[in-house]
Formats: sequence, structure tokens, C-alpha cells
Amino acid sequence: MDVLELARTQFAVTGSLHFLFVVLTLGLAPLVAIMNTRWAISGKPLHEAMTRFWGQIYVVNYALGIVTGLVMEFQFGLSWSGLSHYAGDVFGAPLAMETLVAFFLESTFLGLWIFGWGRLPKWAHLACIWLVTLTAYASAFYIMLANSFLQNPVGSVARGDRLELVDFGALLTNKSLIFSFPHVIGAGLFTGAMVLVGASAYQLRRRTEHVEFFTRSLRTGVVAAALGIFVTIGFGYAQFAGLQDGKFSDNVGAALPLGLMIEFGQLLALVVLFVMLPMVAVLPRWRWTHPLLMLMTPLPFVLAIMGWLAREVGRQPWMIWEKLTVADAMSPGLTSGMVTASLVGFAGVLGLLAVVDYVLIARIVRRGPRDVALGAVPAGETRSPALSY
Amino acid sequence: MEVIWFVLFAVLLAGYFALEGFDLGVGLLLPLLGRTREGRDRMVAAMAPYVLANEVWLVAVAGTLFGVYPLLEGEVLFKLYPLVVAMLLSWILRDAGLWFRRRLDGFRWRGFWDAMIAFGSLGLSFGWGMTIHAAATGFAGPVVHPVGVMLGAVVTLLFAFHGWTFLAWRAPGVFGASRSGRALVVSGVVAAVPAVGVLVGAMPYLLANSAPAATLNVLSVMVLPFAPIVLGAQVWVWRTFRPGKDAVQLPSFF
Repeated sequence: MDVLELARTQFAVTGSLHFLFVVLTLGLAPLVAIMNTRWAISGKPLHEAMTRFWGQIYVVNYALGIVTGLVMEFQFGLSWSGLSHYAGDVFGAPLAMETLVAFFLESTFLGLWIFGWGRLPKWAHLACIWLVTLTAYASAFYIMLANSFLQNPVGSVARGDRLELVDFGALLTNKSLIFSFPHVIGAGLFTGAMVLVGASAYQLRRRTEHVEFFTRSLRTGVVAAALGIFVTIGFGYAQFAGLQDGKFSDNVGAALPLGLMIEFGQLLALVVLFVMLPMVAVLPRWRWTHPLLMLMTPLPFVLAIMGWLAREVGRQPWMIWEKLTVADAMSPGLTSGMVTASLVGFAGVLGLLAVVDYVLIARIVRRGPRDVALGAVPAGETRSPALSY
Repeated sequence: MEVIWFVLFAVLLAGYFALEGFDLGVGLLLPLLGRTREGRDRMVAAMAPYVLANEVWLVAVAGTLFGVYPLLEGEVLFKLYPLVVAMLLSWILRDAGLWFRRRLDGFRWRGFWDAMIAFGSLGLSFGWGMTIHAAATGFAGPVVHPVGVMLGAVVTLLFAFHGWTFLAWRAPGVFGASRSGRALVVSGVVAAVPAVGVLVGAMPYLLANSAPAATLNVLSVMVLPFAPIVLGAQVWVWRTFRPGKDAVQLPSFF
């Protein structure tokens, strides 16, 4: 592989790893926030247990979202300084906004939510998880805004050898953004909901002692999955209205994942909307369906990656559509040795951490809602009795 | 407008040193002060509520670098390529150590991730010293320079002292000493000195290489109204997790 292919591989590997965790974060955040709201209103131990158990899965997943995200942020400067040189005055702004107003607050409020358990007043603690959800969505919005600029570079003009920002409003209403952002949000909700469904099906199949807990979780998951995939598919097709000319016509590498995503996405939508949703009352009891529900759990993750491959491979050979090629965006002077070393380092470390993280999540699912670390009562302190529902 | 954004950039970088400095310092001291497993648990528990609110300052520095100094972003990161990669890997391992150390109960499991926290904190602290040397010399020399290595050792010692002061403030007496809030502020200021020094030297260069007015105006409209909220959230963290005997209560999530 030459240096360009290596640099592209590094971005694809780290970007895909990042999104595998981010898509679940985006989906679980509102679901955990809703569970926390139910707990705050009802005060029931069942709702507390649901908040802690699914919250624990959410935060363990979040860890990998952070560390892969760090690499994404710095990779632009490492491998793609041609992009910031040519378009930094436009492309840098949404990334700066993402870090300063979205992720900064998200990280701060997440810390308050995790470590403020039992320390913050009930409603202040609840506000934290809703603020985490809101800022996670804001984060996704700014990243999609930046990405949409690469797809469809509006709001800017070339002056000399650089792009200049002339109309930020055009970036906000970019036709590549307005349908892709809700598409991503829907896909996140669908993914998070299917994790609720799959994990609950596993516990119910094993004849868990926490029948009510996982019955409710499974039903919440089915309803949220139906909503999620409805939004995803609707805004998925809407995106064809704003597509670049010829994006998928001569590009097998983009057309194939696009086709797979659409075919399997539709199939999943049919199953979720016309089989699972009508059967939501009986699904928790029909144990023969549970292995099928478990098998469906990984599919949203695969489809999400397919979606990104279609969008990003379809952009080739352009970094910024019809303005700057990927080859020209690469840092001048970058060598194969440099990229190979960092690729091995990042892919090796992040890949191993991703495996560890998924094993830890699987372990949480297997052990069920007893002894969850998140929100555990410190030794020598008494709070409401846990798990006596 | 350039001046406002320079001040913001400077506050973020200096703030990172003053805040994340003590997290890295506690990580550095983990093998020295935390001789027992419970001792290490208590050290991590003392800093845990602050980590997410502190490390994010560097994420904001990088974002501001991209938005306000786009030409420098590519240049600086690329010139420090091996150093940036090493520091990112250190940061990743430190964070993974914090998130994973209590997820299983095994003695070796926690020992391994505690070692990663210490190792990652060391890599980041040392890397910062070398980065500051490279910035002060205009990125002209080799990335690894004897003076840079010396500066790395200095920053490491500053962070370790800051971390020690933090522990003595948050959990008075638990790790030996007790320190007042004022002492913590002083050690924070001292930890930020290297960053402030390089920022003062780089000020004319940064001001001259700011993004054009059109970009800065948009950034100001979109970002500055949120500054009080961001600041308020940080203050909320410090008000919520005050020192006291419950500061090192176990189990903590990290």
C-alpha cells in the first residue's frame, strides 16, 4: 500500500471503531434518560435498577467512544493538514463549536451524573443525564455539519489557494445535512433500542429471576426500535433528494454498502414495524423468539458502518466534493513509515480496547441488574433499598 | 476579535495544565503513594469526579486550534507527528485504565490498569515538556532534544507535586499531608507556568495567524454565548465534589 492508502485506511479503521461506540451512545443516552425520569417521578426500585443497569452499559460503552474520538480529532492535523490548509477557515469552525459547546458540556455533565449519584439532589441529577443527551445530539449535529460540508461545500468561496467562509447559514441548511442528521439520530436510537431488545431476550431466554425488569426493558426496546427505524428509513430515502450527481454510479465500493444497507434496513424495518411491534405484548413470554431477537442485535451496528462507507467512499476521490482531492489533502511529507507506525499503534491499541469493552458489556448483560457499580451505595451509607421490587 | 480568541485559547491551554495537571499527577503518584490496592482505590476515587471535566479542556484546545488557527493546526501537529502519536496513545491508555480498572475484581486486572494509568500519565506529562520545548524553539529542531527531555522531567515533577497537593486538599490526612484550597490554587498556577510561558512567547505569531474575521465572527456568535454555561458547569463540579471524609469513599465508579 502506498502512503495515501495507508492514511485512508487509518482514518477508515479509527473512524469506524469510533462510530460503532458512538452510535450506541447516541441511542442509549435518551433511553437511559427516560428510565431515570421514570425513577425520579415514581421512586420505584425497579426504575432505579433499570437506570443503573442500562446506564452502566451506556457508560462502559462511552469509554471507547472517548478514546477513539481523541484519535479522530487529532488525525486531521497528523495526516490531513492539506485539508486545514485549504479549507480550515470553513471546516475548522464546526469542529471548534463541537468541542467548545457540545463535547465540553457533555463530558462535564457525564462526570456529574456518574459521580454525583446520591450526592446531587434528585432533579439536578436527572437534569445531568438529559443535558448529556442534548449535548451528545449537539455534538453529532456539528460533526454532521462538518462532514456535510465535505460532501457539498456550500457557504464558501475560493480566494487564492484557500477557501473562505462567506455564509455560515448555508452550512446550517446544507442539503447534505438536513436529512443526514436525523438519519444518524434515528439509527442511533434503533441501535440502542435493539441492544435493549437483544440483552433482555438473552436474560428472558435464560429464565432470569428479574422477569419484570427484562419484560419492561424488552418492550421499551421494541417501541423505541420501531420509532428509530421509522425515522432512519424516512430520512434515509429523503437524502436521495440532495445527493451529489453520480455519487454511486461508477463507484462499486460505495454502491455495494449502500445497497446492502437499504436491503437489510428495509427487511429489518418490516420485521420491527410489522412483526415485533404488534407482538410487543407477547414477545417477552414467547421464548422461541428470543434467539432470533438476539441474532438481530449486531445488525444495526453493521448497517451503520455500511452507511458511512457508502457516504465516505462515495465521496472519493474528493476530500471536498469537486474542490480538493483526498491526495491533495494529505499532509505533505507524510511517509509510509510514519503512517504504518501510527496505524499499528492506534489500530492495535484501540482494537484491543474495543474487544475488552465488548467483553465487559457482555459480562454486564450476563450478570444482570445485581451488583451494578454505577450508582452503588458507598460503604457505611444507607440509601433506598436496592432491588426489592 | 483575534485578541478575544487568543485569550480564550490561552485560558483553555493554561486551564488544562492547572486542572488535568493534578489528575496526571495523581496517576504519576499511584505506584509511589498507593502501596496497597485499597490505597490506590482511594487515590483514584479522590480524583475520579474531576477527570471528565478536566481532560476535556485539551479537547477544547485542539478544537480551538483547528477553528481559530487552522494553518497552524496542520503544521504543528504534523511537525510533532511521533510525539503527538505517543501522547495520544498515553492518553488513551490512561483513560482506559480509569474506566476499566474496577470493571472486574481480579487483583492482576486492577494492577494492570493501574500500571496503565501511571504509564499513560507519565507519557503525557513528559510529552508536554517536550512539546513546550518544541514550540518555544519554533518547531525547528528534532522532536527529541536533550533540553526537551529535561523540560519533560520538570513538567512531570510539577504535575506530581500538583497531584500530591490535590490529594492533601481533597482528602486531608488520608495520604499524609493536609493542604488548604489556597495551596491547591498555588500549585495549579505553578503547574500552568510552562504553558503560560510558551503562550506569551507565541502571542504575536498566533495573533498574526488567526483565521479571518468572517470565521472568527461566526465562531464568536456560536460559541461565546455558551461560555457562562460551560463555566457554570465547571463550577458545579467543584461545588459538588468538595473535600471531606467522603471524598475517598469506596466503591467509586473509577
